[in-house]
Amino acid sequence: MRPNFFHHLHPPTIPTQQSRWRYTLGAGGTAVFLLFVLAITGMLEMFYYIPTPEQAALSVQTITYHVPLGALIRNTHYWAAQLLLIVMAVHFVRVVMTGAYRPPRRFNYLLGLVLFVVVVLLNFTGYILRWDQGIQWALVVGTNLLKTIPAVGDTLYTMLIGGSQPGSATLIRFYAWHIFGLGLVAVFFTGWHIFRVRRDGGIAVPPPRLREDDARITRFELVQREVLAMILIIAALFILAGFVPAPIDAPIEQITTLANDASAPWFFLWVQQMLKWGDPFLWGIVAPSVLLLVLVLLPYVLPQPQESELGRWFPRSNRLARWSLVVVSALIIILTLMALLPGV
Amino acid sequence: MNNLSRATVAASFLLLLSLLLVWVADSGRPQPQPLVPRMTGEEEFCISCHTDLPEISPSHPVEIFGCVTCHGGERLALDAGLAHSSMRGGNNPSDLSVVEQSCGGSECHSGDPDDERDHIQRVMTSVQATYAGAIAQIRYTFGAQPDLIAHQGVFAVSDPQVTTLTGVHSLTAFDPSQEANPSVQTFGETCLSCHLSAEPLEGGAFERLTSCAACHTPDVDQFAEGSVHQLTTAIPYTQCNTCHNRGNYDLRSMTFVEREDNPTDRFHDYYQPIAQFTQCEWTLDCIDCHTRKEAMGDGDIHSNQSEIQYVQCRTCHGTLDELPLMHTIVSEDEIALKMAFLNPVVNLSVGDTILMTEQGEPLWNTRVMSDGSYELVGKATGQIFEFNPVMGTQCTQKVDEQESNYCHVCHAVDR
Repeated sequence: MRPNFFHHLHPPTIPTQQSRWRYTLGAGGTAVFLLFVLAITGMLEMFYYIPTPEQAALSVQTITYHVPLGALIRNTHYWAAQLLLIVMAVHFVRVVMTGAYRPPRRFNYLLGLVLFVVVVLLNFTGYILRWDQGIQWALVVGTNLLKTIPAVGDTLYTMLIGGSQPGSATLIRFYAWHIFGLGLVAVFFTGWHIFRVRRDGGIAVPPPRLREDDARITRFELVQREVLAMILIIAALFILAGFVPAPIDAPIEQITTLANDASAPWFFLWVQQMLKWGDPFLWGIVAPSVLLLVLVLLPYVLPQPQESELGRWFPRSNRLARWSLVVVSALIIILTLMALLPGV
Repeated sequence: MNNLSRATVAASFLLLLSLLLVWVADSGRPQPQPLVPRMTGEEEFCISCHTDLPEISPSHPVEIFGCVTCHGGERLALDAGLAHSSMRGGNNPSDLSVVEQSCGGSECHSGDPDDERDHIQRVMTSVQATYAGAIAQIRYTFGAQPDLIAHQGVFAVSDPQVTTLTGVHSLTAFDPSQEANPSVQTFGETCLSCHLSAEPLEGGAFERLTSCAACHTPDVDQFAEGSVHQLTTAIPYTQCNTCHNRGNYDLRSMTFVEREDNPTDRFHDYYQPIAQFTQCEWTLDCIDCHTRKEAMGDGDIHSNQSEIQYVQCRTCHGTLDELPLMHTIVSEDEIALKMAFLNPVVNLSVGDTILMTEQGEPLWNTRVMSDGSYELVGKATGQIFEFNPVMGTQCTQKVDEQESNYCHVCHAVDR
């Protein structure tokens, strides 16, 4: 069989070890595919979405209720975005828990982290684009956090919001950020990230001299596995999109009036929980930045995993890095649970 | 075919199945039914689900008003949760807290008094809404205020233009928790169930909606759940009786004592056993005699119902010396014709002569006949009543004793 365009995007053969689902969980590939789904569904939404404060929520309602297949496309976009966060987190945990960030992949680890932050911001801006009563907390409280940054806070706020309070300038900026400032950036970093995966010798496995298993699979099989994964992902997305609709709410009436039950999007609930403890700059800006910094420094300051231990889970040599991630993850999960279950 | 190919085929079937499931789930949604009301020109889809709801009234045709103008809500949404989430006043857009947005506007019910479009201002200041009379009486009785002038209402309200001698400028909100006297506190806790925004007491006899709909949406108990959609000016006495004639307050225990007779006919049901009344008072409906001003207020804040209620027997019957006031309709714009259009029990037109109250309100359902007798058509029943002026009869009533209670001495019916 002659390799086609899609085959040519892959190396002719790769070690079987690199393609084992139980090693990689297929998370990186799934994330790329979800990003592709998001780009397609997002482009379709752009034909109907109107980025003005008066029309935004109404155009979302039009997409949801009146555009043929609009609900399916919007719900798929929503679910792909939520899954992307989860899948990227899983991918990240896999990389740390298998020690794959070891040089030469240390730089790609950073690119991955940048991508993760960009995707979180994409989720946040996309959420804001609904411009309905469900997003008011995030819009008002989230953007007010910027003001608490010493010296540059007010300037940053004005740059993002385009005025003294959220309005039409804010919405058009979030729209531009979502599509260009973050969307295109995510595409660029994804390309770079994938390039670095190949440049760094594919998915982390021990070098050939230390490899126990020399078996390889061809790109024909690799592509076929990817197709299988894509079909399953689409099926899962359709089921989610068909039965669990994306949140929607009535248009915002008064931008600064917050409902009592207003809350952050789920991926920022942990920050919302910390904000209850007081100083918004400390808990809303410094604390999340410190957690991010810990993750950035993981491959630089902690002991490196052994080359021979690559390609499998929980290498002994990077125990400290693993535990650091466990602590960071546990913190975020516990804070999120505390926000979800306020009585506990 | 290898394992991978087999898995791919199986996954493809799974994908098809998921598409089928999504399609089946989606087909359960209502078919969108657009409506573009002329007043807004904005497409709304409420009737996709609310297909069987009757038109609210002939003066609010759905093709012109649509649903959202009055009710609010999300006009584009096709799931009930979102569509109803921003509705004004829940099921009752006339709720006094939102009535200005729902029913107001200079072209509708909060316009110029000269155009008779100031319904909302009048109702908001009326004793039926403020309950100021009862509050003033109770506070005075228990020493919480030195006079019988209204100072407090169930909500704070002010009137920048007082036009009557008894009107007051403003009321503060009555707050039972701030009252020193326990009886006034108890009154506040247990007796505030008869003003327009109060939820009625338990029991079928009290069943009514609140605010404008308390009166203009009669007989709610006769509708199926969720299908009450009616506004009318043909209000039967039974609707007034969801608050009035239901019993009495016992000031010692500060409780409401419901009337205990179980009337089965109109004659016994209309008034409480203790009341004195004449033939026409129970055969007519309350609104056949009592006017818009009396029921909905004259725009001033009053301290007592007696300051606003003025129609007496003589309003229609005159006295020995005087005939009742009459008015001949000269213009198409007259309120009498509008009233007759809203409740077409009479066929009124320019040139017709009708009776008029002492304050100049047209009794549009009456007619002065060519032989000098009068005719009244029941606003709620459509029944025709013929009657005559007192002048020229054997009535021996003194000229300075013309209030209805004097008429009752001779004309009260035997119960």
